[in-house]
Amino acid sequence: MRQFQIFALLGAVLMAACVPVRVVAPDRPIEINLNVNIRQEVVVRLEGQARDLLQDNPDLF
Amino acid sequence: MVRKLSLGFAALALAAGLAAAAPAFAQADSVVEAARAAGTVGEQTDGYLGIVAGASASADVRARVDQINIRRRAAYTERAAASGASANEMAAAVACQIFTSRIDVGERYRNEAGQWVQRTASAPVQVPSFCSR
Repeated sequence: MRQFQIFALLGAVLMAACVPVRVVAPDRPIEINLNVNIRQEVVVRLEGQARDLLQDNPDLF
Repeated sequence: MVRKLSLGFAALALAAGLAAAAPAFAQADSVVEAARAAGTVGEQTDGYLGIVAGASASADVRARVDQINIRRRAAYTERAAASGASANEMAAAVACQIFTSRIDVGERYRNEAGQWVQRTASAPVQVPSFCSR
């Protein structure tokens, strides 16, 4: 009888341990917004070119 | 002989002066400039001119703005190709220059949020966020 109780307890513990842990995947992919930084970098790189373009085209600006 | 030489130099100097002055003849479209001053036409953060929302621009002004934008696009594309950037990136870089130094008080411009704003003497121009500070 006592042995049965121990088994029952062990069983219960094992059952409890088997409850699956659910990892819920996000329904949307993680967005990393690098747009602004990239553009800023490009704009800095093009600064001299932009200045020349303005000076070379007084009829457009 | 000396006189002839000096005359030749004078002619050369005159020619050089004319050549240097030549780009000044290619002036901005006066009709568009007037519309800009009147707040009918303004600069946008995308590097192109736009017709101010709610303003009544004549068909002539609209056509001239279109024409300038087409030529701006060509200039952006050409210059961008030379530096390995896209036309839009070049346009953005030019917009930064325009917004930091070329919008006068009284003129209207379209900010990054798409709203038309008139530049006043008290408030600085809202420079796009992608411009370096």
